[in-house]
Amino acid sequence: MSGCQHQWEMTNIQFGFIAFEKCSYCNGVRTYFSVEDTPALGDEYREGDHFWSRVESAQSFRFDLRCKKCGHLEKFYDLMGLLHCTSCMHDCKVEALRQEYEAAKTWILVGFGHLPTATATPIPPYKLDVLSEYFNQRRDTARSRIKILPFNLIEDFSLCKGEFIHDRGMLSLEPPESRKPLL
Amino acid sequence: MTTQDVIEKIGLKPLSKFEHREISGVFVSDMLSDVMAGAKSGNLWVTVQTHKSVVPAANLVDVSAVIVTSGKSVPQETVDLATKHNIAILATDLPSFELIGKLYGLGLVSS
Repeated sequence: MSGCQHQWEMTNIQFGFIAFEKCSYCNGVRTYFSVEDTPALGDEYREGDHFWSRVESAQSFRFDLRCKKCGHLEKFYDLMGLLHCTSCMHDCKVEALRQEYEAAKTWILVGFGHLPTATATPIPPYKLDVLSEYFNQRRDTARSRIKILPFNLIEDFSLCKGEFIHDRGMLSLEPPESRKPLL
Repeated sequence: MTTQDVIEKIGLKPLSKFEHREISGVFVSDMLSDVMAGAKSGNLWVTVQTHKSVVPAANLVDVSAVIVTSGKSVPQETVDLATKHNIAILATDLPSFELIGKLYGLGLVSS
């Protein structure tokens, strides 16, 4: 393990879209990053036993973090997005931690990996700590701090009304309405 | 230059409750992803976005204030969330182009 006190910078930034797809056969949900807004195979297509249709498309970006001192690269291709807790479920661990951290002027976000992969293999906690460190290195931490939590703390993902920090509806001609729950 | 200076010199309307702080530059974008990738701590963020998601985005990159232009109406839930996070939401009827011109005239640049 390197002894370097990493100073992180964002690198390999690529703007694109997070595609949210749902299978009409098994009701499964999946997400992935795409540089194109329009899916290559169309809005509805079959893949094996799945019949995928595009539910939502959000403008986003992906990136890696590199240490300015030692060059160590931490890839974040598996990060789908950051979710802001809206305190929708009072018995959720994220809500409990939100209250606890806010008392210490630390604002929490939840780091999501791409579905369904992240359900079985969540983003490792050390990577979320690296990401938190990146944001904290860019602010006066005497005023406030950022802490990114793993998404498996969410009590019931299907009921979660947290909001992703994504750009949704930006390509629509209609003004954006209130955002729908993820599932 | 502080947020208080900019408010007084340009006539911005504070909507949320916050502590004044030093400004490091200006970042102009209506996309949250753009702000997360490019804005810096202490920046003034100029946007027409009013959804409450601007607050966690602003908080994440630690902007000094969010200036909502063009007379866009900011929902109370956005203002309340900003107050809770000590994020300045400032409003102006000026179009973004004119506001940015005034900020540039004050000597503020992108950082």
